[in-house]
Amino acid sequence: MIRWIALFALGVLLLLPIGVGPYPIRVATVIFMWAALAGSWNLLAGYAGAVDLGPVVYHGIGAFVTAALMLKLGLPFLVSAGLAGVVAIAIAYAVGTPTLRLRGAYFAIGTLALAESTKQLALAWDRLTRIPLTGGSAGVSLPLSAGYVPFYYVMLGLMTAVTVAALWLGGSKFGYGLRAIAENDRLAEASGVDIHCLKRRVYVVSACVMAMTGGTAGYWLSYINAADVFSASITFQMVVMALLGGLGTPFGPIVGAAFLTLVSEFLGTRFVYHYLIAIGVIIVLVSLFAPAGLTGILEVVRRRREATA
Amino acid sequence: MNLLEVRAVTKRFGSLTALNGVDFALAEGEILGIIGPNGAGKSTLFNVIAGLETPTAGRVSYRGRSIAGMTADAVCRLGIAKTFQIPQLFPRLTVAENVLVAALYGGGHGLSASWREAREWLAFVGLADKAEKPAETLTVSERRRADLARVLGTGASLILLDENMAGLNRKEVEAAVGLLRDVRARGRTLVVTEHIMRAIMGLADRVVVLNYGEKIAEGRPADVMRDAAVIKAYLGESYA
Repeated sequence: MIRWIALFALGVLLLLPIGVGPYPIRVATVIFMWAALAGSWNLLAGYAGAVDLGPVVYHGIGAFVTAALMLKLGLPFLVSAGLAGVVAIAIAYAVGTPTLRLRGAYFAIGTLALAESTKQLALAWDRLTRIPLTGGSAGVSLPLSAGYVPFYYVMLGLMTAVTVAALWLGGSKFGYGLRAIAENDRLAEASGVDIHCLKRRVYVVSACVMAMTGGTAGYWLSYINAADVFSASITFQMVVMALLGGLGTPFGPIVGAAFLTLVSEFLGTRFVYHYLIAIGVIIVLVSLFAPAGLTGILEVVRRRREATA
Repeated sequence: MNLLEVRAVTKRFGSLTALNGVDFALAEGEILGIIGPNGAGKSTLFNVIAGLETPTAGRVSYRGRSIAGMTADAVCRLGIAKTFQIPQLFPRLTVAENVLVAALYGGGHGLSASWREAREWLAFVGLADKAEKPAETLTVSERRRADLARVLGTGASLILLDENMAGLNRKEVEAAVGLLRDVRARGRTLVVTEHIMRAIMGLADRVVVLNYGEKIAEGRPADVMRDAAVIKAYLGESYA
């Protein structure tokens, strides 16, 4: 049932740019971008139980690799973003092999530290290596992009890919392995699950999507800078959106991204200086009254209806 | 060839020697009991065999192949699985999914074959009616049976049961002993540690007695119980 609704919604979204003007399309693109980021974070945190506080590393790597390939090699945007995904896969494989052995809070702290040091490295990269890549604190300007509609479709594609992956995890062998790891990793190991191998696969896939999203966002804004694209606030926004929508659910990140983006958009235009206070209150209220996230509310309603029926 | 050989296995944790030169062998289809007072090294021995701990010295081989340095998941896929002293579950998965994971990964089956395995082993341990319940809702005795079903689901030939009967009442112990005999009848080999002597006496073909990490006796259950060293270890000098 929910899958048919989702498929129908996807059909509507595919046709949406025909009917509406630039502003709603831009807002929708922002939502898709956050849904893709929060969704790929959700694959690891929600399904495998590994809370990564440094996913922004791959967002930033994606942005700079895409920019470098477009500017230095003159490659087309889509090829550059795709190759940025491949670079992210290689880096994530090397980084994930040791860090994914850390458990619980240690993994969270380790990845947070990794993200911060990556940001500093990116800021100092040009000076240290004499290979111009990040432009230091001045950043890099990209060629002006062609319209806004292509970004809409790329972000929609990324969001859809992540959601399909999450749906597949729901009932597949791989998904059961991940849920076993999230529930009790020692027992999963004692039951034959190669926990490091499974976690690394998810980590690598989520890094790839984040890098492509970061690359797309960078080209869309046509200006990137290490302090921004590696900013911890991007990580926290992904985390908040995934938790707000519903951790470990396929549609939670989309709901969280749409909710937070629309609320900020609505309040931000009316209460320019104070809207962040209101958003803080809303986040606290949702976590108090719907700890399983907004999609969790639907689940509770559905169960009640089934119980009374 | 013996199914399992444990040769001169020593395990130290800092200055504590949990196991000191333990030797024994196990034939296919046997039920071996491992007994000993608290802290004798029974659980450590199990953890070494199951790949959860690496021995400081000595060697463990399964079907003639050394399993030293293998990770727990690889040991499980090879055919050795253990239950936990405190029964472990995937709490928010259903009882059937708990066994399913073991069949998928330990047994290496596909999804539909694993679902069949899960249902079969849950019926075997008498939990068929709980299959769709979240595992965290099970009682202690049900958790022990779910843990056993999970271990059976991995398809392991060698099953290590770490005090699988602790906390059960007399009737439940009798049922559990019967269940373990059925497990053997299905071609599995069992190593059992237990505090409940009655259960071990009625179940094991052979018993190894550990005390302070050393093997102090080995033999048929009835003979071992008359052994002076064993009585001394359990009851003290004046009874020996």
